[in-house]
Amino acid sequence: MDILLQLVFSGIALGMIYAVIAFGYQLTFATSGTLNFGQGEALMLGALVGLSLVGSIHGGPYMSYLLMVPLVIVFGALQGAFVEWIGVRPAIKIKSEFGWIMSTIALAIIFKNVAENIWGKDDLTFPSPLSAKPFMILGANVQPMQVAVVVGALAMMLAVELFNRKSIYGKAVVATANDRDAAGLMGINTRLVITFSYALSSATAAFAGVLVAPLTLTGATMGASLGLKAFAVAIIGGLTSGVGAIVGGLILGIAETTTGYYISSGYKEVPGLVLLLLVLAVKPSGLFGKTAIKKV
Amino acid sequence: MNFALKLLVAGVVLSWSTAGMAADPIKIGVSGPFTGGSAPMGVSMRDGVKLAVADINAKGGVLGRQLQMVERDDEAKPERGVQIAQELINKEKVVATVGFINTGVALASQRFYQEAKIPVIDNVATGTVVTKQFVDQPENYVFRNAANDAIQSHMIVEEAVERRHFKKVAILADSTNYGQLGREDLEKALDKKGLKAVATEKYNIKDVDMTAQLLKAKQAGAEVVLTYGIGPELAQIANGMEKLGWKVPLIGSWTLSMANFIDNAGKNGDGTRMPQTFIEDPTTPKRKAFIDAYVKAYHPPNGRMPSPVSAAQGYDSIYLLAAAIKQAGSTDGPKVRAALESLNEKVDGVVTMYSKPFTKDNHEAITAEIPVFGEVKDGRVVLAK
Repeated sequence: MDILLQLVFSGIALGMIYAVIAFGYQLTFATSGTLNFGQGEALMLGALVGLSLVGSIHGGPYMSYLLMVPLVIVFGALQGAFVEWIGVRPAIKIKSEFGWIMSTIALAIIFKNVAENIWGKDDLTFPSPLSAKPFMILGANVQPMQVAVVVGALAMMLAVELFNRKSIYGKAVVATANDRDAAGLMGINTRLVITFSYALSSATAAFAGVLVAPLTLTGATMGASLGLKAFAVAIIGGLTSGVGAIVGGLILGIAETTTGYYISSGYKEVPGLVLLLLVLAVKPSGLFGKTAIKKV
Repeated sequence: MNFALKLLVAGVVLSWSTAGMAADPIKIGVSGPFTGGSAPMGVSMRDGVKLAVADINAKGGVLGRQLQMVERDDEAKPERGVQIAQELINKEKVVATVGFINTGVALASQRFYQEAKIPVIDNVATGTVVTKQFVDQPENYVFRNAANDAIQSHMIVEEAVERRHFKKVAILADSTNYGQLGREDLEKALDKKGLKAVATEKYNIKDVDMTAQLLKAKQAGAEVVLTYGIGPELAQIANGMEKLGWKVPLIGSWTLSMANFIDNAGKNGDGTRMPQTFIEDPTTPKRKAFIDAYVKAYHPPNGRMPSPVSAAQGYDSIYLLAAAIKQAGSTDGPKVRAALESLNEKVDGVVTMYSKPFTKDNHEAITAEIPVFGEVKDGRVVLAK
C-alpha cells in the first residue's frame, strides 16, 4: 500500500506539470484554433530566466524566489505575444491551415538555440526555495516542493478560469473562443484577444517552468520532452476542457510511475501512449472535450 | 613573355608548390559530442587533444610537419557520426581520427575507417565491443586508450561486493547502447561472484522522475545501487533517493565524475565512487603541467575540468598517435597501424607511462591495473581511500 501511495504521489506531481503545459495549449486553441508547439520551450525559457534571477549563474542572486515569479510571468507573456506576432498572426491573416504549425516549431528551435548560447548546453541546478527534505504522508515520502507544484499549478489554472468567467476581458476571450467572427462583429478586438491568449499561455508555461525547475534540472533541452508529453495530455483530456487537462495529466503521470514499478521501467511510457491512441480512435475530441462540428 | 621570364615564373611557382607540400599539415580528425548531455566529456576530450597538438607543434611537429585538428560535433548521434566519418575520410583526407565518446556512435562510424584503412583511437568510448568490431579481419584499425566496460564493471563489482561486503545490489542503467552494454557487463561480473542483481532497472535520457525504479530497488532490499548512465540522469537518481528518503551508496561507471553529475546532485552525490584513469590531482610533474595548462587555456569554472578523464585520455591519444606516425616515418594508414601495434618508444602520458601499449591482438592501452577509484567529495573527485 505504501508503495502504491508513493507511486501515486510522484505521479500526481509529475502529472500536474503535464497538466499546466497542456492547459497552455488549450488557451490558444480556444481563441484562435492554433497551438503553440513551442510551449515546452516557453517553459524552458521561463525556468532559465528565473534561474538567472535567483541563481548565481549571471552574478546573482538578485532576488528571492517569490519576487522572481511575477517577473518570469511577465517575461513569459511578452515571449508569448512575440510568438503570436511573428509566427501565428501572418498565418491567421491568410487563413493558412498549417502555416502556424511550422512557424511555431521554427520559433521553438530558435528559442532553444538562443538559450543554448546564453545559458550553455549543460543542465543546471535550480536552487530550491523550500527544503528538499521529504516528509511523510500516510507512509509515503513527499517533498515540500512537490506539494508546491501541485498547489501552484491548480491555483494558476483556477486564476485563469476565474478571470475568463468573471471579468469583462475574460468574457471577450470566451466570446472569441465561441465564435471569432461573431465576436468581431460585436466590437471585440479579436486580434488583440488572440495575442492576449498567446501571452497568457506562455506566461502559464513560464510559471510552470519555475515551479518544476527545483525538482528537475534546468537546461535548454528540458522543454522538448515535457512539451510533447503535455501535448499528449491535451489530446487525451480534450483541447477544450480545463478539467480535461488536469485529469489527462494525472492519468499520464500516474500511469508512468505505476507502470515503471509494476510492469517494467522499459515500458514506462507505453500505457500513456496506448491511451492516447485509444482516445483518438474512440473519442477524438478527448475525454472531456466538446465534439467540434466543422461546417464546410 | 620571353623565355627567361617564363622560366623564372615556372621556377617560382614550382618552388612555392613544393614548399607548400613540405609544410602540408598532418590532418587528424576529432569526432565527439560538443553539445548535449555528453558534452562535458566531448569538450574536455577535444581540449585535451588541442593541448597535445599545440605541445607537439611547438616542438616542431611530427616528421617536420605540423599537426592539424579537424574537429566535428557528432552530437552523440550515430547517424551524425557516420556523416562525419565520411566527410573526414573523403573530403578532409585525415591521416587518423581520435575521439568517440559514445559507444553507439563509435560502433556506427568505425566501419568507414576500417574500410579506408585509417587508424582510429577511441579515447573515451568504453563499450567492450568497440575494439572487437573487426577482430575477424586480418587488420584491425580500431585502438583505444580508455578503460573499457569489462574492466570498469569488474572494478565496480569488486568494490561493492569484496571491499564493502554488500550482498544485495541493484543496477540502474539508461536505455542507450552505453547503459545497456554496461549493464550486461555488470551482470557478467556479478555472475562470477555467484550473485544476481536484486533489481535491474532502466530509464530514458531526460527522464525527470526515477521514483518507480528506485522504489523497486528499495523494495528488493538493495544495499547499494550500481549505475551505468551519463551525468544529468545520474544526478536525478541521487536526488530521487533523497525524495524517497532512502540512502544507499552509489557506485558506478566513470561517468559519475562528470561535472554535470556532481553539480546537479550537490550534497546527494557525496560519497559516490567510480573507476577513474585520471583524477584532477597534481600527483606527478607531468600531471601538474597538464592540469595547469588546461586551466590556463580554458578557464573551466572553479578551476575544475568538466571531465578530467576525457581530457587526459584525449591528450594521451594524440601522443600515442604522434609516436606511431614518427616510428612509421609515414602517414600511410597501414604503416601507422603497424607502428601502433609495435611501438618501440615509451610514451610518457598523463594517465600512465605507455610501454608497448598495443599488440596485434590487444588494442587496449588501458589495462585493469591502471584505473583507481575516485570519490565525490565537496564537489570534486578525489582519490577514494
